[in-house]
Amino acid sequence: MGFFDQFWQLTIDGLMVGSLYAVIALGYTLVYGVLQLINFAHSEVFMLGSFGGLFAARALLPDGGVPGGFQSVYLVAVGLAVGALCGALAAFTLERVAYRPLRRRSAPRLAYLISAIGASLFAVNLAGKEFGRQNVDLPDLFHNDTVFTLFGADVSTQSLVIFAVAIAMLVGLDRLVAGTRLGQGIRAVAQDADTAVLMGVNVERIIIVTFVVGGLLAGAGGFLYAMTFNASYSMGFVPGVKAFTAAVLGGIGNVRGAMLGGLLLGLVESYGGYLFQASYKDVIAFLVLVAILMIRPSGLLGERLGRAA
Amino acid sequence: MGRRPILGAIALATAVTLSAAACGSSGDDTSSSGKKTITIGFQGVLSGDNQQLGLNALYGVKTAIAEVNADASYPFELKLVESDDAGSPDQGPTAAQKLIDNKKVVAVVGPMFSGATKASEPAYSQAGLLSVSPSATNPALTTLGFTSFYRVIAPDTVQGKAAADYLADVLKAKKVYSLDDKSEYGTGLSGALEPELKAKGIEVIHDGINPTKDYQSEATKIIAAKPDVLYYSGYYAELALLTKALKDKGFTGKIASGDGSNDPQYVAQAGATAAEGVYLTCPCGDANSDPKAAAFVESFKKVNNGAKPGTYSGEAYDATKALATVFKQLGDDVNRESVLKAFPGVNYAGITKTVSFESNGEVKGSNVYVYQVKNGAITVLGNIADLIKA
Repeated sequence: MGFFDQFWQLTIDGLMVGSLYAVIALGYTLVYGVLQLINFAHSEVFMLGSFGGLFAARALLPDGGVPGGFQSVYLVAVGLAVGALCGALAAFTLERVAYRPLRRRSAPRLAYLISAIGASLFAVNLAGKEFGRQNVDLPDLFHNDTVFTLFGADVSTQSLVIFAVAIAMLVGLDRLVAGTRLGQGIRAVAQDADTAVLMGVNVERIIIVTFVVGGLLAGAGGFLYAMTFNASYSMGFVPGVKAFTAAVLGGIGNVRGAMLGGLLLGLVESYGGYLFQASYKDVIAFLVLVAILMIRPSGLLGERLGRAA
Repeated sequence: MGRRPILGAIALATAVTLSAAACGSSGDDTSSSGKKTITIGFQGVLSGDNQQLGLNALYGVKTAIAEVNADASYPFELKLVESDDAGSPDQGPTAAQKLIDNKKVVAVVGPMFSGATKASEPAYSQAGLLSVSPSATNPALTTLGFTSFYRVIAPDTVQGKAAADYLADVLKAKKVYSLDDKSEYGTGLSGALEPELKAKGIEVIHDGINPTKDYQSEATKIIAAKPDVLYYSGYYAELALLTKALKDKGFTGKIASGDGSNDPQYVAQAGATAAEGVYLTCPCGDANSDPKAAAFVESFKKVNNGAKPGTYSGEAYDATKALATVFKQLGDDVNRESVLKAFPGVNYAGITKTVSFESNGEVKGSNVYVYQVKNGAITVLGNIADLIKA
């Protein structure tokens, strides 16, 4: 059971989990880029999106047996869409309730942090009350067969779906920020909010859009997460911390950095979990983080959303 | 799993407020029926990922209390105070203190998980408050000098040996991958299982993994080791995720686990397809299929809105009934001191076993059963002692 025999299998596992981290990390990075604010309630946006997608897919799931073919595609698509919508709605509400009143009053930075923790606790406990404090399983939406073999490692339908959807979202966001008018606005606010206002950018609108886009990604990512593992009221915390780490690793505020950071973190965890006792997985991942930050304090790709990606 | 310090702080603040409220209240000690009221406490897992096990036990306690209160031969009525430790060692002492500070509580059913028990028991011993655990199976618990600790379930040394017998003699395993969740309970069980397996000449690979959601690389590791059987020493929420990861990756060996995973929630969370065929050992009989326990099952459903007894329900019921028996013997002299003194001598014929104790607090004579998931339901296969002879 040498490491190199399993190298490709571990790489595939790592990329799958890593792409999930990357999708969540984008939410942190976008909001940080625009507001220089760490949105610690983002993990709960992820959790609520996850439940939304899970319940939608379960409601449409026919009785008996694993669906196949077109039906599977439909179920996954609905789950992703509802998950993304719930995530966007949660992020929008969060911005309205927890952040905007503070911004209107020009509250100090710390107040946002407290507000985020409060919102996070509220969301966790509300979810615990409404959805129960048990893990909730999402039944298989498709036959999870091996699609093809890569250097002797099995690539399952599930890892393929997750990786493809995640990469599509990452590339889509990258294009949005780099190539559209809206993206231009986001970059302008990130670079210099005051000047952006003078140039006719509606900053309030840009902030809302940033939260909503982050929420869409986190919600869809939450559905993918529920598909792989399961959903629970407390599910947001650990992936939230990991995604935040990924964002810092890549350079917070940097869209491509978040993607790189997420994938890297997933890979390091996967290799580390195999090479050492499984429980050292997180230790290794964070050692890598510390090591990289010592060499490159602003993350792998530096921390500018403003710089055109 | 990461526990949030901030959640802990809030739980602590709440517990402090609640216990202060409990101290402040002064109710009368006689009930409406004119009988004396005796208050007992329950400490267990009433929230968190493994909440179902706590509810199983709590409902068992409530069933026993309802029966006692409806029975005229008991010259008292029982009242229950609940305390939630979330199964966590961090929250155990606070949960215990809440019951200790309530001067009306004369005995406690609980704590439930071994880690929480180890953390809570020093407080109970110091306060001289009897605690009877329905489920804490870590072998070391009776050797730590706690004067207040009794349990109505066999320690994991008994389960570990029986599980080893079953894996070797019935499943004919040559190579076993023993994985634990690094908790007080998990390491106790794997520590009891592994030497027994090795003594039978079986190759054992040991690994430990803290509860997590992501068992992908662990599953890859297990499959690469090609064991005949994977035995997981831990609780159902994690086994469910591990099972899914293993089945997704095409693991063909057998999967087995212990009493901490023996709950229908395991099947619900892993999915019936993935859980099919998994073996579960437990020093607990299945009340639902035992004809002798039919009356208990009936009364359990009536008290708990149709819920069926689960793992530890019978044990919690027996613990409560054994306490009631002791209260009855003591007559008017029911207080913490007298209960703690009289309980070791109890001899109560319960539904899971006859409750009587060795001098160290271990319950006498206990059977270990093996269960299997069949068509999405956990079905009893029988007493391991009988199965290995066949």
